[in-house]
Amino acid sequence: MMFLKAENISKSFGGVRAVQNVSLEVPENSIFALIGPNGAGKSTLLNLLSGIYQPDAGQLTFQEKNLIGLPAHRRVRLGLARTFQKIRLFKQLTLLENVRAGFHIHQDAPFWKNLLHGNSGSFRDEAHELLEFVGLESLAGERAGALPYGKQRLLEIARALATRPRLFMLDEPAAGLNGSEVDFLLDRLIQIAGRGITLVVVEHNMDLVMNVAQRVFVMDHGEQLFEGAPREVQANPRVIEAYLGGEFQ
Amino acid sequence: MSARLVSLLIAILVLAALPWLLPTPYWRGILVLCAMNVLLALSLNLVLGYTGQLNLGQSAFFAIGAYVSTILVKTYAWNFWLASLAAVAAAGLLGLALAAFAVRLRGHYLAIASLGFAVITYQVLVNWEKVTEGVRGIYGILPPVASTTGLFYLVAGITLVVYVLIDNLMRSPVGDTLRAIREDEVSAASLGVNGALWKAFAFGLGAAIAGLAGCFYPGFVGTLVPDAFNIIESFTMMAMVIVGGMGTMIGPVIGAIVLTFLPEVLRDFGEFRLMIYGLALTLVVLFMPGGIVQAWRTLLRSR
Repeated sequence: MMFLKAENISKSFGGVRAVQNVSLEVPENSIFALIGPNGAGKSTLLNLLSGIYQPDAGQLTFQEKNLIGLPAHRRVRLGLARTFQKIRLFKQLTLLENVRAGFHIHQDAPFWKNLLHGNSGSFRDEAHELLEFVGLESLAGERAGALPYGKQRLLEIARALATRPRLFMLDEPAAGLNGSEVDFLLDRLIQIAGRGITLVVVEHNMDLVMNVAQRVFVMDHGEQLFEGAPREVQANPRVIEAYLGGEFQ
Repeated sequence: MSARLVSLLIAILVLAALPWLLPTPYWRGILVLCAMNVLLALSLNLVLGYTGQLNLGQSAFFAIGAYVSTILVKTYAWNFWLASLAAVAAAGLLGLALAAFAVRLRGHYLAIASLGFAVITYQVLVNWEKVTEGVRGIYGILPPVASTTGLFYLVAGITLVVYVLIDNLMRSPVGDTLRAIREDEVSAASLGVNGALWKAFAFGLGAAIAGLAGCFYPGFVGTLVPDAFNIIESFTMMAMVIVGGMGTMIGPVIGAIVLTFLPEVLRDFGEFRLMIYGLALTLVVLFMPGGIVQAWRTLLRSR
Protein backbone atom coordinates (compact mmCIF):
# COMPACT_ATOMS: atom_id res chain seq x y z
CA MET A 1 0.00 0.00 0.00
CA MET A 2 1.38 3.36 -1.00
CA PHE A 3 1.31 6.03 1.70
CA LEU A 4 0.85 9.16 -0.39
CA LYS A 5 0.28 8.82 -4.09
CA ALA A 6 -0.27 11.45 -6.78
CA GLU A 7 -1.03 10.50 -10.37
CA ASN A 8 -0.78 12.98 -13.24
CA ILE A 9 -1.91 15.96 -11.21
CA SER A 10 -1.97 19.34 -12.93
CA LYS A 11 -2.76 22.87 -11.87
CA SER A 12 -2.89 26.04 -13.96
CA PHE A 13 -3.35 29.66 -12.92
CA GLY A 14 -4.73 31.56 -15.88
CA GLY A 15 -2.34 30.58 -18.65
CA VAL A 16 0.48 29.53 -16.35
CA ARG A 17 0.86 25.79 -15.95
CA ALA A 18 2.27 25.68 -12.44
CA VAL A 19 2.16 21.89 -12.12
CA GLN A 20 1.87 19.58 -15.12
CA ASN A 21 1.18 15.85 -15.04
CA VAL A 22 3.18 15.22 -11.92
CA SER A 23 3.11 11.73 -10.44
CA LEU A 24 4.83 10.79 -7.22
CA GLU A 25 4.76 8.16 -4.54
CA VAL A 26 5.91 8.87 -1.01
CA PRO A 27 6.65 5.71 0.98
CA GLU A 28 5.74 5.56 4.67
CA ASN A 29 8.49 6.31 7.22
CA SER A 30 10.71 8.12 4.76
CA ILE A 31 12.06 11.60 4.26
CA PHE A 32 11.09 12.74 0.81
CA ALA A 33 12.72 15.90 -0.58
CA LEU A 34 11.17 18.08 -3.26
CA ILE A 35 13.71 20.29 -5.01
CA GLY A 36 13.98 22.46 -8.10
CA PRO A 37 14.83 25.99 -9.21
CA ASN A 38 12.64 28.95 -8.20
CA GLY A 39 9.27 28.83 -9.92
CA ALA A 40 9.53 25.10 -10.59
CA GLY A 41 6.13 24.50 -8.98
CA LYS A 42 7.26 22.94 -5.70
CA SER A 43 5.11 25.11 -3.46
CA THR A 44 2.12 24.70 -5.75
CA LEU A 45 2.57 20.94 -5.56
CA LEU A 46 2.68 21.14 -1.78
CA ASN A 47 -0.47 23.27 -1.80
CA LEU A 48 -2.14 20.61 -3.93
CA LEU A 49 -1.07 17.84 -1.57
CA SER A 50 -2.22 19.74 1.53
CA GLY A 51 -5.51 20.89 0.03
CA ILE A 52 -4.95 24.65 -0.18
CA TYR A 53 -5.53 24.18 -3.93
CA GLN A 54 -7.50 21.50 -5.73
CA PRO A 55 -5.87 20.07 -8.88
CA ASP A 56 -7.44 20.65 -12.32
CA ALA A 57 -6.81 17.01 -13.18
CA GLY A 58 -5.26 13.88 -11.72
CA GLN A 59 -5.62 11.50 -8.80
CA LEU A 60 -4.46 11.98 -5.24
CA THR A 61 -4.69 9.42 -2.44
CA PHE A 62 -3.38 9.15 1.11
CA GLN A 63 -3.39 5.63 2.56
CA GLU A 64 -5.69 4.76 -0.33
CA LYS A 65 -8.22 7.42 0.69
CA ASN A 66 -9.15 9.80 -2.08
CA LEU A 67 -8.03 13.37 -1.33
CA ILE A 68 -9.50 15.07 -4.39
CA GLY A 69 -12.19 17.55 -3.36
CA LEU A 70 -11.27 17.26 0.29
CA PRO A 71 -10.53 20.74 1.75
CA ALA A 72 -7.33 21.39 3.71
CA HIS A 73 -8.96 21.25 7.13
CA ARG A 74 -10.43 17.79 6.44
CA ARG A 75 -7.06 16.44 5.27
CA VAL A 76 -5.55 17.40 8.63
CA ARG A 77 -7.90 14.90 10.29
CA LEU A 78 -6.48 12.15 8.07
CA GLY A 79 -3.00 12.96 9.40
CA LEU A 80 -1.61 15.52 6.96
CA ALA A 81 0.12 18.60 8.38
CA ARG A 82 2.23 21.33 6.84
CA THR A 83 4.23 24.50 7.33
CA PHE A 84 4.39 27.46 4.97
CA GLN A 85 7.20 28.95 2.91
CA LYS A 86 6.10 32.43 3.91
CA ILE A 87 5.65 31.90 7.65
CA ARG A 88 2.01 32.06 8.71
CA LEU A 89 1.94 32.22 12.49
CA PHE A 90 -0.83 33.72 14.61
CA LYS A 91 1.33 36.77 15.22
CA GLN A 92 -0.70 38.51 17.92
CA LEU A 93 -0.99 35.31 19.97
CA THR A 94 1.61 33.90 22.33
CA LEU A 95 3.80 30.94 21.45
CA LEU A 96 1.76 28.75 23.79
CA GLU A 97 -1.52 29.90 22.23
CA ASN A 98 -0.14 29.16 18.77
CA VAL A 99 0.71 25.59 19.69
CA ARG A 100 -2.51 25.13 21.68
CA ALA A 101 -4.52 26.07 18.58
CA GLY A 102 -2.76 23.18 16.84
CA PHE A 103 -4.60 20.67 19.04
CA HIS A 104 -7.93 21.76 17.55
CA ILE A 105 -8.86 18.42 15.99
CA HIS A 106 -8.11 16.56 19.22
CA GLN A 107 -10.29 18.77 21.44
CA ASP A 108 -13.21 16.71 22.68
CA ALA A 109 -14.58 18.69 25.64
CA PRO A 110 -18.33 19.21 25.18
CA PHE A 111 -19.42 22.76 24.41
CA TRP A 112 -21.22 23.29 27.73
CA LYS A 113 -18.01 22.46 29.59
CA ASN A 114 -16.12 25.13 27.66
CA LEU A 115 -18.96 27.56 28.37
CA LEU A 116 -19.12 26.85 32.11
CA HIS A 117 -15.50 26.11 32.97
CA GLY A 118 -13.36 27.60 30.21
CA ASN A 119 -10.85 24.76 30.47
CA SER A 120 -7.71 25.95 28.75
CA GLY A 121 -5.86 23.20 30.61
CA SER A 122 -6.37 20.53 27.97
CA PHE A 123 -3.17 19.68 26.07
CA ARG A 124 -1.29 22.30 28.08
CA ASP A 125 1.47 19.85 29.03
CA GLU A 126 1.77 18.53 25.52
CA ALA A 127 1.94 22.09 24.15
CA HIS A 128 4.79 22.86 26.53
CA GLU A 129 6.55 19.64 25.50
CA LEU A 130 6.35 20.64 21.85
CA LEU A 131 7.78 24.08 22.65
CA GLU A 132 10.52 22.35 24.60
CA PHE A 133 11.20 20.10 21.60
CA VAL A 134 11.89 23.08 19.33
CA GLY A 135 13.79 24.92 22.07
CA LEU A 136 11.26 27.68 22.64
CA GLU A 137 9.83 26.69 26.02
CA SER A 138 11.37 29.67 27.81
CA LEU A 139 9.52 32.04 25.42
CA ALA A 140 6.09 30.40 25.83
CA GLY A 141 4.39 33.60 26.96
CA GLU A 142 5.90 35.87 24.30
CA ARG A 143 4.00 37.15 21.27
CA ALA A 144 4.78 35.00 18.23
CA GLY A 145 5.21 38.04 15.96
CA ALA A 146 8.04 39.32 18.18
CA LEU A 147 10.19 36.22 17.61
CA PRO A 148 13.25 36.35 15.39
CA TYR A 149 12.77 34.75 12.00
CA GLY A 150 14.52 31.46 12.67
CA LYS A 151 12.53 30.83 15.83
CA GLN A 152 9.29 31.61 13.99
CA ARG A 153 10.04 28.71 11.63
CA LEU A 154 10.56 26.38 14.59
CA LEU A 155 7.33 27.54 16.23
CA GLU A 156 5.44 26.78 13.04
CA ILE A 157 6.84 23.26 13.14
CA ALA A 158 5.80 22.80 16.78
CA ARG A 159 2.31 24.08 15.99
CA ALA A 160 1.89 21.68 13.06
CA LEU A 161 3.15 18.76 15.18
CA ALA A 162 0.31 19.48 17.63
CA THR A 163 -2.09 18.03 15.04
CA ARG A 164 -0.20 14.72 15.51
CA PRO A 165 0.43 14.19 11.82
CA ARG A 166 1.38 10.98 10.02
CA LEU A 167 2.63 12.91 7.01
CA PHE A 168 4.33 16.24 7.63
CA MET A 169 5.03 18.59 4.71
CA LEU A 170 7.50 21.43 5.20
CA ASP A 171 7.87 24.23 2.68
CA GLU A 172 11.48 25.46 2.78
CA PRO A 173 11.99 25.06 6.54
CA ALA A 174 15.63 26.15 6.33
CA ALA A 175 15.03 29.34 4.33
CA GLY A 176 16.52 32.32 6.13
CA LEU A 177 18.17 30.27 8.87
CA ASN A 178 21.83 30.62 9.82
CA GLY A 179 24.27 27.73 10.04
CA SER A 180 23.65 26.66 13.62
CA GLU A 181 19.90 27.05 13.17
CA VAL A 182 20.03 24.75 10.12
CA ASP A 183 21.94 22.15 12.18
CA PHE A 184 19.32 22.31 14.92
CA LEU A 185 16.51 22.03 12.35
CA LEU A 186 18.19 19.01 10.75
CA ASP A 187 18.46 17.31 14.10
CA ARG A 188 14.80 18.00 14.88
CA LEU A 189 13.64 16.73 11.47
CA ILE A 190 15.53 13.48 12.00
CA GLN A 191 13.93 13.14 15.43
CA ILE A 192 10.47 13.79 13.99
CA ALA A 193 11.06 11.14 11.34
CA GLY A 194 12.28 8.85 14.13
CA ARG A 195 8.83 9.10 15.72
CA GLY A 196 7.34 7.46 12.64
CA ILE A 197 6.20 10.64 10.92
CA THR A 198 6.79 10.69 7.17
CA LEU A 199 8.33 13.95 5.95
CA VAL A 200 7.96 15.72 2.63
CA VAL A 201 10.41 18.63 2.53
CA VAL A 202 10.61 21.35 -0.11
CA GLU A 203 14.09 22.69 0.24
CA HIS A 204 16.88 24.65 -1.41
CA ASN A 205 19.46 23.84 1.22
CA MET A 206 21.47 21.03 -0.37
CA ASP A 207 23.13 19.95 2.88
CA LEU A 208 19.71 19.25 4.26
CA VAL A 209 18.48 17.47 1.15
CA MET A 210 21.57 15.33 0.61
CA ASN A 211 22.07 14.38 4.26
CA VAL A 212 18.60 13.52 5.47
CA ALA A 213 16.43 12.62 2.48
CA GLN A 214 16.03 9.06 1.26
CA ARG A 215 14.29 10.07 -1.96
CA VAL A 216 14.68 13.27 -3.93
CA PHE A 217 12.11 14.48 -6.42
CA VAL A 218 13.33 17.17 -8.80
CA MET A 219 10.93 19.57 -10.53
CA ASP A 220 11.47 22.16 -13.23
CA HIS A 221 8.90 24.27 -15.11
CA GLY A 222 6.05 22.51 -13.33
CA GLU A 223 7.14 19.07 -14.47
CA GLN A 224 8.97 16.16 -12.96
CA LEU A 225 12.61 16.24 -14.02
CA PHE A 226 14.04 13.34 -12.08
CA GLU A 227 13.48 11.17 -9.05
CA GLY A 228 16.01 9.08 -7.19
CA ALA A 229 18.36 8.70 -4.26
CA PRO A 230 20.35 11.84 -3.30
CA ARG A 231 23.58 10.54 -4.91
CA GLU A 232 21.84 9.82 -8.20
CA VAL A 233 20.40 13.33 -8.22
CA GLN A 234 23.80 14.93 -7.73
CA ALA A 235 25.17 13.01 -10.69
CA ASN A 236 22.26 13.59 -13.04
CA PRO A 237 23.18 15.92 -15.93
CA ARG A 238 19.62 17.16 -16.46
CA VAL A 239 19.38 18.24 -12.83
CA ILE A 240 22.73 20.01 -13.06
CA GLU A 241 21.59 21.74 -16.21
CA ALA A 242 18.35 22.91 -14.62
CA TYR A 243 20.20 24.37 -11.66
CA LEU A 244 23.36 25.74 -13.29
CA GLY A 245 22.32 26.34 -16.87
CA GLY A 246 23.50 24.53 -20.01
CA GLU A 247 26.65 26.51 -20.64
CA PHE A 248 28.52 24.75 -17.85
CA GLN A 249 28.47 21.45 -19.66
CA MET B 1 -10.06 32.78 46.12
CA SER B 2 -9.03 33.22 42.52
CA ALA B 3 -8.48 36.66 41.01
CA ARG B 4 -11.41 36.02 38.67
CA LEU B 5 -13.79 35.35 41.55
CA VAL B 6 -12.61 38.50 43.34
CA SER B 7 -13.19 40.58 40.19
CA LEU B 8 -16.64 39.05 39.84
CA LEU B 9 -17.58 39.93 43.42
CA ILE B 10 -16.32 43.48 42.99
CA ALA B 11 -18.33 43.79 39.76
CA ILE B 12 -21.48 42.59 41.56
CA LEU B 13 -20.94 45.07 44.39
CA VAL B 14 -20.34 47.98 42.00
CA LEU B 15 -23.43 47.09 39.96
CA ALA B 16 -25.50 46.84 43.14
CA ALA B 17 -24.29 50.24 44.34
CA LEU B 18 -24.60 52.12 41.03
CA PRO B 19 -28.33 53.06 41.22
CA TRP B 20 -27.67 54.55 44.67
CA LEU B 21 -24.67 56.53 43.44
CA LEU B 22 -26.77 57.94 40.61
CA PRO B 23 -30.07 58.48 42.41
CA THR B 24 -32.07 60.53 39.86
CA PRO B 25 -34.50 58.71 37.54
CA TYR B 26 -32.72 60.27 34.58
CA TRP B 27 -29.31 58.85 35.47
CA ARG B 28 -30.82 55.49 36.39
CA GLY B 29 -32.30 55.41 32.90
CA ILE B 30 -28.83 56.06 31.48
CA LEU B 31 -27.59 53.12 33.55
CA VAL B 32 -30.12 50.79 31.91
CA LEU B 33 -29.08 52.08 28.50
CA CYS B 34 -25.45 51.56 29.44
CA ALA B 35 -26.04 47.93 30.48
CA MET B 36 -27.77 47.31 27.14
CA ASN B 37 -24.91 48.94 25.26
CA VAL B 38 -22.39 46.76 27.10
CA LEU B 39 -24.36 43.68 26.05
CA LEU B 40 -24.38 44.90 22.43
CA ALA B 41 -20.66 45.68 22.50
CA LEU B 42 -19.96 42.19 23.89
CA SER B 43 -22.01 40.65 21.09
CA LEU B 44 -20.14 42.53 18.37
CA ASN B 45 -16.76 41.93 19.98
CA LEU B 46 -17.30 38.19 19.65
CA VAL B 47 -17.60 38.60 15.88
CA LEU B 48 -15.32 41.58 15.22
CA GLY B 49 -12.78 41.36 18.02
CA TYR B 50 -12.29 37.63 18.45
CA THR B 51 -13.12 36.22 15.03
CA GLY B 52 -12.02 39.20 12.93
CA GLN B 53 -15.20 39.61 10.89
CA LEU B 54 -16.04 43.19 9.95
CA ASN B 55 -19.76 42.93 10.66
CA LEU B 56 -21.76 46.13 10.21
CA GLY B 57 -25.16 44.47 10.51
CA GLN B 58 -25.35 44.07 14.25
CA SER B 59 -28.11 46.70 14.59
CA ALA B 60 -30.38 44.40 12.55
CA PHE B 61 -30.13 41.60 15.13
CA PHE B 62 -30.78 44.13 17.90
CA ALA B 63 -33.90 45.15 15.97
CA ILE B 64 -35.06 41.57 15.43
CA GLY B 65 -34.77 40.87 19.16
CA ALA B 66 -36.80 44.00 19.94
CA TYR B 67 -39.54 43.49 17.35
CA VAL B 68 -40.02 39.74 17.71
CA SER B 69 -40.27 39.89 21.51
CA THR B 70 -42.59 42.93 21.46
CA ILE B 71 -44.91 41.59 18.77
CA LEU B 72 -45.19 38.23 20.51
CA VAL B 73 -46.11 39.95 23.77
CA LYS B 74 -48.40 42.65 22.34
CA THR B 75 -50.15 40.81 19.51
CA TYR B 76 -50.05 37.20 20.66
CA ALA B 77 -50.09 37.83 24.43
CA TRP B 78 -47.02 35.71 25.08
CA ASN B 79 -45.25 35.77 28.40
CA PHE B 80 -42.29 38.20 28.24
CA TRP B 81 -39.65 35.56 29.00
CA LEU B 82 -41.01 33.05 26.52
CA ALA B 83 -41.23 35.80 23.90
CA SER B 84 -37.64 36.80 24.66
CA LEU B 85 -36.47 33.24 24.26
CA ALA B 86 -38.14 33.09 20.85
CA ALA B 87 -36.69 36.48 19.92
CA VAL B 88 -33.15 35.40 20.84
CA ALA B 89 -33.60 32.21 18.83
CA ALA B 90 -34.93 34.20 15.86
CA ALA B 91 -32.00 36.61 15.93
CA GLY B 92 -29.51 33.75 16.28
CA LEU B 93 -31.04 31.74 13.43
CA LEU B 94 -31.14 34.77 11.17
CA GLY B 95 -27.51 35.40 12.11
CA LEU B 96 -26.65 31.85 11.06
CA ALA B 97 -28.60 32.28 7.82
CA LEU B 98 -26.70 35.47 7.00
CA ALA B 99 -23.46 33.79 8.04
CA ALA B 100 -24.03 31.07 5.44
CA PHE B 101 -23.28 33.78 2.86
CA ALA B 102 -21.11 36.04 4.97
CA VAL B 103 -18.44 33.45 5.82
CA ARG B 104 -17.37 33.38 2.17
CA LEU B 105 -16.69 37.10 2.35
CA ARG B 106 -13.81 38.93 3.94
CA GLY B 107 -12.94 42.45 5.05
CA HIS B 108 -14.66 45.15 2.98
CA TYR B 109 -16.91 42.71 1.17
CA LEU B 110 -18.32 41.35 4.41
CA ALA B 111 -18.71 44.90 5.71
CA ILE B 112 -20.78 45.90 2.66
CA ALA B 113 -22.88 42.71 2.69
CA SER B 114 -23.67 42.99 6.41
CA LEU B 115 -24.39 46.71 6.06
CA GLY B 116 -26.79 45.79 3.25
CA PHE B 117 -28.50 43.35 5.57
CA ALA B 118 -28.97 46.09 8.18
CA VAL B 119 -30.43 48.42 5.55
CA ILE B 120 -32.84 45.73 4.32
CA THR B 121 -33.95 44.93 7.87
CA TYR B 122 -34.58 48.61 8.53
CA GLN B 123 -36.65 48.90 5.34
CA VAL B 124 -38.70 45.83 6.29
CA LEU B 125 -39.44 47.39 9.67
CA VAL B 126 -40.56 50.61 7.98
CA ASN B 127 -42.64 49.02 5.23
CA TRP B 128 -44.15 45.85 6.67
CA GLU B 129 -46.77 47.92 8.46
CA LYS B 130 -49.23 45.07 9.04
CA VAL B 131 -46.81 43.51 11.50
CA THR B 132 -44.44 46.26 12.62
CA GLU B 133 -46.78 49.30 12.44
CA GLY B 134 -44.06 50.93 10.31
CA VAL B 135 -42.97 54.45 11.22
CA ARG B 136 -46.11 54.91 13.34
CA GLY B 137 -44.48 52.62 15.84
CA ILE B 138 -45.77 50.37 18.60
CA TYR B 139 -46.82 52.13 21.80
CA GLY B 140 -47.45 51.32 25.43
CA ILE B 141 -44.86 48.60 25.78
CA LEU B 142 -44.34 47.54 29.38
CA PRO B 143 -40.94 46.60 30.79
CA PRO B 144 -40.57 43.17 32.45
CA VAL B 145 -40.05 44.92 35.80
CA ALA B 146 -41.75 48.18 36.71
CA SER B 147 -38.98 50.20 38.37
CA THR B 148 -35.99 51.60 36.49
CA THR B 149 -33.67 50.33 39.21
CA GLY B 150 -35.16 46.85 38.92
CA LEU B 151 -34.76 46.93 35.14
CA PHE B 152 -31.12 47.98 35.57
CA TYR B 153 -30.45 45.08 37.94
CA LEU B 154 -32.12 42.70 35.51
CA VAL B 155 -30.24 43.84 32.39
CA ALA B 156 -26.94 44.29 34.24
CA GLY B 157 -27.30 40.84 35.82
CA ILE B 158 -27.95 39.20 32.46
CA THR B 159 -25.07 41.15 30.94
CA LEU B 160 -22.76 39.97 33.70
CA VAL B 161 -23.79 36.34 33.13
CA VAL B 162 -23.21 36.72 29.38
CA TYR B 163 -19.83 38.33 30.09
CA VAL B 164 -18.72 35.42 32.30
CA LEU B 165 -19.91 32.82 29.77
CA ILE B 166 -18.13 34.51 26.84
CA ASP B 167 -15.03 34.92 29.00
CA ASN B 168 -15.11 31.18 29.77
CA LEU B 169 -15.55 30.37 26.12
CA MET B 170 -12.64 32.60 25.09
CA ARG B 171 -10.40 30.91 27.68
CA SER B 172 -11.39 27.50 26.34
CA PRO B 173 -10.13 25.82 23.15
CA VAL B 174 -13.03 27.51 21.33
CA GLY B 175 -11.35 30.87 22.03
CA ASP B 176 -8.04 29.56 20.67
CA THR B 177 -9.84 28.47 17.51
CA LEU B 178 -11.65 31.79 16.96
CA ARG B 179 -8.49 33.84 17.55
CA ALA B 180 -6.59 31.56 15.18
CA ILE B 181 -9.16 32.26 12.46
CA ARG B 182 -8.89 36.00 13.10
CA GLU B 183 -5.10 35.89 12.81
CA ASP B 184 -4.83 33.72 9.69
CA GLU B 185 -7.61 31.59 8.29
CA VAL B 186 -5.41 29.61 5.87
CA SER B 187 -3.05 28.78 8.68
CA ALA B 188 -5.96 27.76 10.91
CA ALA B 189 -7.21 25.45 8.13
CA SER B 190 -3.77 23.83 8.06
CA LEU B 191 -4.44 22.85 11.67
CA GLY B 192 -7.79 21.30 10.82
CA VAL B 193 -10.01 24.28 11.65
CA ASN B 194 -13.16 24.56 9.54
CA GLY B 195 -13.08 28.35 9.26
CA ALA B 196 -16.53 28.75 7.70
CA LEU B 197 -18.19 26.68 10.43
CA TRP B 198 -16.58 28.54 13.33
CA LYS B 199 -17.12 31.96 11.79
CA ALA B 200 -20.80 31.09 11.39
CA PHE B 201 -20.87 29.96 15.02
CA ALA B 202 -19.46 33.30 16.23
CA PHE B 203 -21.76 35.22 13.90
CA GLY B 204 -24.84 33.34 15.11
CA LEU B 205 -23.92 33.61 18.78
CA GLY B 206 -23.17 37.34 18.38
CA ALA B 207 -26.54 37.82 16.66
CA ALA B 208 -28.37 35.95 19.43
CA ILE B 209 -26.77 38.12 22.12
CA ALA B 210 -27.62 41.31 20.21
CA GLY B 211 -31.18 39.94 19.98
CA LEU B 212 -31.17 39.43 23.75
CA ALA B 213 -30.25 43.09 24.26
CA GLY B 214 -33.10 43.96 21.92
CA CYS B 215 -35.66 42.23 24.16
CA PHE B 216 -35.16 44.81 26.92
CA TYR B 217 -35.02 47.94 24.81
CA PRO B 218 -38.72 48.40 23.90
CA GLY B 219 -39.96 48.00 27.48
CA PHE B 220 -37.38 50.51 28.66
CA VAL B 221 -38.35 53.18 26.11
CA GLY B 222 -42.05 52.26 26.06
CA THR B 223 -42.30 52.62 22.28
CA LEU B 224 -40.80 50.88 19.30
CA VAL B 225 -39.98 52.67 16.04
CA PRO B 226 -37.65 51.57 13.21
CA ASP B 227 -35.45 54.64 13.64
CA ALA B 228 -34.06 53.18 16.87
CA PHE B 229 -32.36 50.58 14.66
CA ASN B 230 -30.92 52.85 12.04
CA ILE B 231 -27.64 51.56 10.63
CA ILE B 232 -25.89 54.30 12.63
CA GLU B 233 -26.48 52.00 15.61
CA SER B 234 -24.13 49.44 14.03
CA PHE B 235 -21.41 52.07 13.80
CA THR B 236 -21.99 53.15 17.40
CA MET B 237 -21.52 49.52 18.53
CA MET B 238 -18.35 49.28 16.44
CA ALA B 239 -17.05 52.52 17.99
CA MET B 240 -17.66 51.08 21.47
CA VAL B 241 -15.70 47.92 20.64
CA ILE B 242 -12.82 49.80 18.98
CA VAL B 243 -12.55 52.62 21.54
CA GLY B 244 -12.49 50.12 24.39
CA GLY B 245 -10.15 47.65 22.76
CA MET B 246 -11.39 44.86 20.53
CA GLY B 247 -10.40 41.27 21.12
CA THR B 248 -10.21 41.81 24.87
CA MET B 249 -13.03 41.01 27.29
CA ILE B 250 -13.04 44.21 29.30
CA GLY B 251 -12.35 46.58 26.37
CA PRO B 252 -15.84 46.66 24.86
CA VAL B 253 -17.32 47.05 28.36
CA ILE B 254 -15.19 50.16 28.93
CA GLY B 255 -15.93 51.41 25.41
CA ALA B 256 -19.68 51.03 25.93
CA ILE B 257 -19.56 52.81 29.29
CA VAL B 258 -17.44 55.68 27.96
CA LEU B 259 -19.52 56.19 24.83
CA THR B 260 -22.81 56.00 26.76
CA PHE B 261 -21.80 58.52 29.39
CA LEU B 262 -19.66 60.86 27.27
CA PRO B 263 -22.62 62.44 25.39
CA GLU B 264 -24.42 62.91 28.73
CA VAL B 265 -21.44 64.55 30.39
CA LEU B 266 -21.04 66.79 27.34
CA ARG B 267 -24.64 68.04 27.51
CA ASP B 268 -23.42 71.31 29.09
CA PHE B 269 -21.65 72.10 25.83
CA GLY B 270 -24.99 72.29 24.03
CA GLU B 271 -24.64 72.18 20.29
CA PHE B 272 -20.90 71.53 20.45
CA ARG B 273 -21.65 68.19 22.11
CA LEU B 274 -21.58 66.02 18.98
CA MET B 275 -18.53 67.83 17.68
CA ILE B 276 -16.57 67.06 20.84
CA TYR B 277 -17.87 63.49 20.80
CA GLY B 278 -16.70 63.01 17.21
CA LEU B 279 -13.35 64.63 17.91
CA ALA B 280 -12.76 62.39 20.94
CA LEU B 281 -13.60 59.35 18.85
CA THR B 282 -11.18 60.38 16.10
CA LEU B 283 -8.38 61.07 18.56
CA VAL B 284 -8.79 57.69 20.25
CA VAL B 285 -8.64 55.83 16.93
CA LEU B 286 -5.62 57.91 15.79
CA PHE B 287 -3.55 57.75 18.96
CA MET B 288 -4.80 54.61 20.69
CA PRO B 289 -5.21 52.09 17.86
CA GLY B 290 -5.62 49.25 20.38
CA GLY B 291 -8.25 51.18 22.30
CA ILE B 292 -8.29 52.25 25.93
CA VAL B 293 -7.26 48.79 27.20
CA GLN B 294 -4.16 48.72 25.00
CA ALA B 295 -3.21 52.28 25.95
CA TRP B 296 -3.59 51.42 29.64
CA ARG B 297 -1.37 48.34 29.28
CA THR B 298 1.28 50.33 27.44
CA LEU B 299 1.17 52.95 30.20
CA LEU B 300 1.63 50.29 32.89
CA ARG B 301 4.55 48.72 31.05
CA SER B 302 6.38 52.02 30.45
CA ARG B 303 6.37 52.89 34.17
